[in-house]
Amino acid sequence: MNFVAWQMLTGDRAKYLGLIFAIAFSTFLMSHQTSIFCGLMNRTRSQILDVRDASIWVMDPKTQYLDEVKNLTDQDLYRVRGVSEVEWAVPLLKSNSRAKLPGDGKFRAVILMGLDDSTLVGAPPNMALGGVAAMGQPDSVIIDRAGYKFFFPDEPLQLGKQLEMNDHLVRIVGICNSSAPFVNLPVVYSRYSLAQLLVGQERNLMSFVVARPRAGITDAQAAKAISEKTQLRAFTANQFGWDTIWYYIRNTGIPINFGITVAIALVVGTVVAGQTFYLFVLENLKQFGALKAIGVSNWRITGMVLLQAFVVGSIGYCIGIAMTAAFFEFTKDNLDLRGFYMLPQIMGLVGITVVAIIFLASAVSIRRVAVLEPAVVFRG
Amino acid sequence: MITKYGIPFIALLALTFAGLSVARLTPKNQPLEPFSPPPSATFKNKIGAVGLVEASSENIAVSVPLPGMVSKVFVKAGDAVRRGQSLFSLDDRDLRAELNLRESNVALAQAKLARLQAAPRTEELPAAEARVREAEAQLSDVQVQLQMIEAVKDKRAIRNEELERRRRAVAIAEARLDEARANLRLLKAGTWKEDLDVARSEVAQARSQADRVRADLERLTVTSPIDGEILQCKVRPGEYAAAAPLQQPLVLLGSTKQLNIRADVDERDAGRVRAEATTVASVRGDASHRYTLKFVRFEPFVVPKKSLTGDSAERVDTRVLQVIYALDAGAPVRPGQQMDVLIEAR
Repeated sequence: MNFVAWQMLTGDRAKYLGLIFAIAFSTFLMSHQTSIFCGLMNRTRSQILDVRDASIWVMDPKTQYLDEVKNLTDQDLYRVRGVSEVEWAVPLLKSNSRAKLPGDGKFRAVILMGLDDSTLVGAPPNMALGGVAAMGQPDSVIIDRAGYKFFFPDEPLQLGKQLEMNDHLVRIVGICNSSAPFVNLPVVYSRYSLAQLLVGQERNLMSFVVARPRAGITDAQAAKAISEKTQLRAFTANQFGWDTIWYYIRNTGIPINFGITVAIALVVGTVVAGQTFYLFVLENLKQFGALKAIGVSNWRITGMVLLQAFVVGSIGYCIGIAMTAAFFEFTKDNLDLRGFYMLPQIMGLVGITVVAIIFLASAVSIRRVAVLEPAVVFRG
Repeated sequence: MITKYGIPFIALLALTFAGLSVARLTPKNQPLEPFSPPPSATFKNKIGAVGLVEASSENIAVSVPLPGMVSKVFVKAGDAVRRGQSLFSLDDRDLRAELNLRESNVALAQAKLARLQAAPRTEELPAAEARVREAEAQLSDVQVQLQMIEAVKDKRAIRNEELERRRRAVAIAEARLDEARANLRLLKAGTWKEDLDVARSEVAQARSQADRVRADLERLTVTSPIDGEILQCKVRPGEYAAAAPLQQPLVLLGSTKQLNIRADVDERDAGRVRAEATTVASVRGDASHRYTLKFVRFEPFVVPKKSLTGDSAERVDTRVLQVIYALDAGAPVRPGQQMDVLIEAR
C-alpha cells in the first residue's frame, strides 16, 4: 500500500513538485528570516564573544549593556583580584574613538579595545595578517578587516599603514577577523596604555575588568562572589551577552519588525504548504475512495496520507534548508554580512515546524478521507 | 524515474550540504588561553594590590638649600655614592665676591684692633715728656719770680696786686704741670680696655660674617645624605635648581642593596591585611615568576590613591593603605617598577 501512496504522490509530477517547492520556500523563508534576526541580535554582543580568554565581565553596577559603560576606577581591578574565587583579572578598555586616515581626511568612528599591556587578554582570536604580539611595539594597533577595507578599499592586506587617532599617529601591525559589531563599526585593538592616549580626556578609563575563575569554580559562582565582595556587577560572558541582546530587544524596534516578518513567514509557510497538501489530498479523494471501496481500512489510508505528507515535507524541508545554507555560504565572504549564519537550533526548529505544519494539513485532509463514502468513486 | 528517485536523492544531498554548511559556518567560540598568563596566586582568600618597587631607604629626592644655577655635576645615574660625597654644585660667583668683601672687613677690624693695642705710639712720648718739662720749667720760673717778690722786706715797695698775680701764676703753672703729667700718664697707660673690647668684638663679628658666607658657599655643593645609588640624575650644568619640592627631582638616590615594595591596598580591603600574611608579587608581563615578600611595616597614614596616568586634573576618590614589603635580593626588578601583589587574607 505504501507503494501505492508513493505512486499517487509522484504520479502527478506538477503537483508533486509544486508541493515540494511550496514547503521548500516556506522553509527557506522561516529559516532565513530567523537566522538573520538571530545574527543581527548576536552582533550586539560581538565584542563579548570575541573575548575568549576571559569568561567573567565586571562592570559598574548600573551598566545596562555593552555599548554604554561607566568606567571603573583603577583600584577596582585590585579589588576584583582580591576575590578568592577569581584566578586572575585584568583591565579592559572599550570605548568609541575616531580614526582618521592621515592626509586623506577620511575618518570613521571606531570601537577601541584597550587590552592589558602585559597579558593582552581579549586579543582578537582570529588574525588575518600579523600577530598579536606585535601590539607590544610602540604606537601599534590591530584593526579588523572591515576597517582596513574601509580605509584602504582597493589595496591588499598589508601591515605598516598609519592611522591618526586623537592626534596620535598609530601604525597597523595586524589585521584581524573580528565578529561584526551591531552597526558594523571598525574595531581597533591596542594596548591599554596606548588606548588611554587614543581616547579623549576622561578621568577613569577602565571600562571593564575581565577575569577567569579559579579551577573548580564555575563562572557563575565567581561572578556572584565578585558582585558580593566588591559591590560591582559581575556577569559571565554569556549573561552579559544576553543582557546586551535583551537591551536591544527592549529598546529598539528590530525584534518587533523581525518578529512580524518571522511570524508572517510562519503563517505564509503554514498556509501555503498546508493548503497545497490539503488540495492534493482533495484531488486524490477519488483514488482514496476506490481504495476504500476495495476494503482498505481507514487506518491504512491514514498511514498512506501521513507517508505522503512525510515524504513531501522532508524533501521540501531539505531543499529549503539547503537554500538558506547556500545563501549564507554565498555571503560568508561579504564583510558587511559577517556574523550572519544559520544556527543549528534554527535548522532543527524549522524542521519541527515544517513537520507540525504538514501534519496539521494532513490531519485536516485525513478527516475528509476518513468520512469519505466509498460510493463517491462511482458517482463520477 | 527522475521524479521518483532523483528528487529524494537531491533532497538527501541538499540536507547533507545544509548540515555540513551549518556545522562549518557556526562559530565555535572556544575559550582561549591569554597571550601571556596574568598574575594569580594559590591562596584561598587574597587581596590584590599594586606595588611600586623602591629603595629600602625610600627614594630620596635630593633638593638644594638655596636656589641657583647648576655649575658642576659630579655624578651620573647609576653611580654608587658614599655619604657626604659631592653630587653637584651651584654657581658661587656671587658668594665668592661677598666672601672677599667680608674677609676685607675682618682685616679692617683686625687692623683697627692692632692699632689700639699698639698705643702709646713711642713717637708721642718725648713730646709729652717735653710738655711736662716745659710745665716744670714754667712752674719754676713763676716760683722764682714769686720768691723774688716775697723776698722784698719792705712791703711797701711792692704792689699788692703784683704779689697776688705772681702767686696765681704759680698756681696756674702747677696746674699746667699736673695736666702735662696727667697727659703723659694717659699716654703711657695706652688704649682704654673697653675700647679694646669693642674693637675685639668688631673683629669677631666680621669673622663670623665671613664664616657665614663660607658656610653658604659650602652649601652650594650638594652632598649625598646616605650611602646609596644614584637612581636618577636630572640635573645638568647651566640649569636652574629651585629650592622647592619638584615634580621632577634633581637627583633621586636611594640605597638599592635591598629593594622594598610599597603596595597600595584599597581602603575597603585594608582591614583584611595582616602583617604575617604570605604575600607574593610578580613582575608585569611575567606572571610565571612569583617572588615571596617579607613584611616590613605598615605606613601609619592612609593616603589618597596616586594615579599613574599622570593627568594633572585628576581628582582622588579612593584612599589606600600602604604596606611595605622587602623583596628578595636578586629579583630582576628595578626601583620604580610596578608589580602585581597578592596578599593572603583572612
